[in-house]
Amino acid sequence: MGTNRKGFTVSLLLTMSMLLAACGGNGNTKGTPDAGSTGEPGTGAEATAAAEPVKLEFWTIALQPTFNDYFNNLITQYESSHPGVTVEWKDYPYDAISQRLLTSTASGKSPDVVNLNTEFASQLGSKGALLNLNEYLTDEQAKSYFEGIYNSTVLGGQAYALPWYTGTEVLFMNKKLVEKAGLDPASPPQTREELVEWARQVHEKTGAAGYAQQLVSKLFPIDGIPILNEDKTAAAFNTPEAEAMIAQMRDLMKEGVVLKEDADFSKQIQYFSGEQVAFQLSGPTFINFIKTSAPDVYKNTIAVPLPTGKANLRLSNSMNLVVPQKSKNPQQAVEFAAFLTNAENQTAFSKVANTLPSSKASIQDPFFTDSDGSLEAEAKVASSQSLDKATDYMVGVPSAADINSALARGLQEILMNGVDIKETLNKVEKEVNNIISQGS
Amino acid sequence: MYKGFRSESFSAWAFMAPGLLFLAVFTFWPIIYGIPLSLTDYSVITETNVVGLDNFTRAFQDHNFLISLWNSLVYVLIVPVIQIISILMAILVNSRIPGVKMFRAAYYIPVVTSMVAVALIWSWLLGNNGVVNYLLLKAGIISEQVSWLSTNSTALYVLMFITMWKGLGYYMMLYLAGLQGIPADLYEAARVDGAGPLRLIVHVTLPLLRPHILFCTLISVMGAIRVFDEVYILTKGGPGTSTLTSSVYIFQKGLEQFNFGYASALGLIVSVMVGALSVLVFRLNRKGGVNSY
Repeated sequence: MGTNRKGFTVSLLLTMSMLLAACGGNGNTKGTPDAGSTGEPGTGAEATAAAEPVKLEFWTIALQPTFNDYFNNLITQYESSHPGVTVEWKDYPYDAISQRLLTSTASGKSPDVVNLNTEFASQLGSKGALLNLNEYLTDEQAKSYFEGIYNSTVLGGQAYALPWYTGTEVLFMNKKLVEKAGLDPASPPQTREELVEWARQVHEKTGAAGYAQQLVSKLFPIDGIPILNEDKTAAAFNTPEAEAMIAQMRDLMKEGVVLKEDADFSKQIQYFSGEQVAFQLSGPTFINFIKTSAPDVYKNTIAVPLPTGKANLRLSNSMNLVVPQKSKNPQQAVEFAAFLTNAENQTAFSKVANTLPSSKASIQDPFFTDSDGSLEAEAKVASSQSLDKATDYMVGVPSAADINSALARGLQEILMNGVDIKETLNKVEKEVNNIISQGS
Repeated sequence: MYKGFRSESFSAWAFMAPGLLFLAVFTFWPIIYGIPLSLTDYSVITETNVVGLDNFTRAFQDHNFLISLWNSLVYVLIVPVIQIISILMAILVNSRIPGVKMFRAAYYIPVVTSMVAVALIWSWLLGNNGVVNYLLLKAGIISEQVSWLSTNSTALYVLMFITMWKGLGYYMMLYLAGLQGIPADLYEAARVDGAGPLRLIVHVTLPLLRPHILFCTLISVMGAIRVFDEVYILTKGGPGTSTLTSSVYIFQKGLEQFNFGYASALGLIVSVMVGALSVLVFRLNRKGGVNSY
């Protein structure tokens, strides 16, 4: 008994001391600026010769080993023009990079340049974990990117990422099903309304559904419904327009025109491969999957520009380069990120990776204007020529990942679980406002 | 006597040391460290502030968390079902019918199969055009395809079924070990007294399996509340919050949204809940049994 009491006291003391240790400081106390957060604005144009050797750690997502030659060549080029700077390139799977970044940040070994998608970059930016690149870039540099894409990670006037390779969606059509429904693939639908009509006719005449889609927050901006208000301080999606948009989606699912399913990308591939849907709305990478999973369907597929919604814009889906706040070499890190994302290097990367560039000058290259008639080339030309209209759907949204998941859950509640639209929108609005007010 | 005891206990501790060391570093320490973390807004990437009990008050006002707790409690309903079926399976494979070894192996295969593989296989089987819908449509049991994992009325129960399907073999093996420890002469004596097969199970097998039932029920309850893999792989808690369990929600808050302080508070609440349920299971199984525990 006595031992128990002693043990309890020891545990209590241990807990208390840890409590103090955890709260007392983890090398990250308020008011102490992080090294490098007050870097001098760089000219960006000329290289900074490092006074002492600098080692930059550069992380990418799922680019090794496919693009080893491209990156090794680029890194060699950069190192030779920046004496004293060496770049160590590491590559992680898509699912692992966030965990890696967290653990390395926690252990005080932050990388210098990291490849992140827009949602994650916004999430980290709004938590103050990334460098404000406006302090380092010239106006000319900032303007060399497509405005809509560059602005997607600008929060409160601070730019948290340099846009890198991107993709915009196109409309893939199963020619066989479309023709069977008595429609002419040569004059494809231009708007969402027309697409819905086509899908309805396909469903009536062939039994296949029009298309499958994932229930994500981008359904709002496609129809011009803003997710947040102008100054990003409150939810702005709880409107009659949103109710109408969701009600229409619900009716289409009921009719079987749109599949009643929250279909992620892999499910969408399955449905299109199995000819259960006639249309697919996605980026050009879809072609690679369809080519291997259903060669016959691939032969029967054509790509056309994506029909636009009420907002008349096309959404991009970008990868970015960010510099963590805890980078020990912010100046050199920004320069390296700018080098990787300049027009020349982006054009070269697009050619080897079949992606789209986010730099304006790149799409003047014949690679993006000429088509040899193949599905890949058609998709590439269709999507690259709409980049000037492209914007990411989470433009400058703080805590983007949290807001996305709240909206996605709400859409699922309504469309899959049959919960009342208005009631759900009210609930999600409250949740999103909480997320914003908590900054988490 | 005393010296003997000391050397014996030293040996015991020596044998347990490697395992305990691992447990201490990877289980006990994180649990203890979660207590101070739960009182902060720790997020790894930004400065940490003490928020006191805010995370706990926020938790009980968090609609999604309360739903996830409820779903986790609903998940516990599979515990008695798993126990009953696995005891019956153990009794079956304990008999001397031909080919019984093949059944033992077959029932155990899902246990050693990776949960990711199991989840993917079931997602195909349960897909709109999957085998399950095909068979049920053919048999006339359903009139149209059912999206088993995308419909709120079925998704959670389907996940529970998958958990049960995978776990049955594991509990069956534990019960089988228990059954083989029951002396045969007890059955003989009962038969002499005129007991039939059912009475043998009720009056001999089940009372003597009580320690095993307690152990299996306990780990089954803990497993049900902490269920993560199958839910995360197959539904991520959707559609809506239909299958959102506490572990998935804690994971999302911590590792996807970097609210580690808040996630630690949620983890502690769930731990207390698991502890309370464990005590309840112990109390319900207090009396009887052959082995003391």
